[in-house]
Amino acid sequence: MKHCLIVDDSRVVRTVAGRIVKDLSFSVSEASDGAQALEMCRAEMPDAILLDWNMPVMNGLDFLRALRREEKGQDPVVVFCTNENDSEHISEAIRAGANEYIMKPFDADIVESKFAEVGLV
Amino acid sequence: MQETTFNELADLALRQSGQNIPASKAYLLEARLSTIARRENFATLDDLVHCLKARPNPRFEQEVAAALTGKSTQFFGDRELLDKIVGQALPKRLSHSKTGRLRVWCAGVSTGQEAWSLAILLREAVGSPLANAEIEIVGTDLSTQCIETAKQGVYGHFDVQKGLSIHRLLTNFDRRDNGDWSIKSEVQDAVSFRRHNLLESGRDLGQFDIIMCCNVLSGLAPGAKRQVIETFSAHLLPEAFLFAGTGENLAGLSDAIKPSRDLRGAFERDLSGKKTEAA
Repeated sequence: MKHCLIVDDSRVVRTVAGRIVKDLSFSVSEASDGAQALEMCRAEMPDAILLDWNMPVMNGLDFLRALRREEKGQDPVVVFCTNENDSEHISEAIRAGANEYIMKPFDADIVESKFAEVGLV
Repeated sequence: MQETTFNELADLALRQSGQNIPASKAYLLEARLSTIARRENFATLDDLVHCLKARPNPRFEQEVAAALTGKSTQFFGDRELLDKIVGQALPKRLSHSKTGRLRVWCAGVSTGQEAWSLAILLREAVGSPLANAEIEIVGTDLSTQCIETAKQGVYGHFDVQKGLSIHRLLTNFDRRDNGDWSIKSEVQDAVSFRRHNLLESGRDLGQFDIIMCCNVLSGLAPGAKRQVIETFSAHLLPEAFLFAGTGENLAGLSDAIKPSRDLRGAFERDLSGKKTEAA
């Protein structure tokens, strides 16, 4: 079973996204900020990361840049999932190494479609 | 909804667009007509049908029939077919073309996503012989409202996130201030849309190298299917390709077409069998 790490400071979003991703046959773990997520990745790299942008302690973009510098940090497929919905933010995320991008609000069909785009389902 | 109301609406759909709506799908009618009923201040579909009968109005009948089709569509909804058209069918047609000009008809295109998806794929065909071809895409649909949406090329937050990768979104769309996304003008150049009822001949549409018609024929009554396929046949250039959606089968529906010898899954005009009226 593939493993997805959901990184978002909102418990509600983590819960909703977690249910959707579990329905896509992933095991799920959660982190509430980038720093916590980075520690979890160092312990075990997930197959996929669903990543919020604005979070306390370490935001999603800084997390992604740090992740991609880690040994095996290129391995996880990273899908941003954020309220930052303008072209400039999306381009910045891609330059930092994001594989896909979900604009909030989202539903199960969007998550499945985006995961399909990057070969996760 | 009264049984007579269902019967009137099913008859309207059959008459106007050839659709077969079985009684088991009666529940769909409420959903598909809810927007029109609300706008026109009808409390129930019984009231709407009563008005249609009491004060016949061809435009309103047409709008109701179009709303009853209820085709759902999304970007790259039939990826396998689009890949076959761009990867095989169009290059084959181009190799036989003296002018380098090709025409594609997306029939029953709803709000346009199929046509735009094809245009996006063609923009990506850099290095392919298709890059130098002049390819015109014509999208048609029964619904005036759907065609207006298709022409505008503006789609909401949820529409652009189903079937489109983020790279394709950024490359082919501009974000509007309200959060919608509009097709870039350079993608629009090769695509046009117009209202057309597939039960009509559409003589002025001209002839095509490719006709694609996804998720439309399966909802039609047998006689309407045959009629539509004969119309398609009349609009196909010799040895041009007709495609239904992946998983839909055109075999045996009409002797105006036959399986293509050149391309598996495609059909072509059958000039040996029953004669079809030239477009």
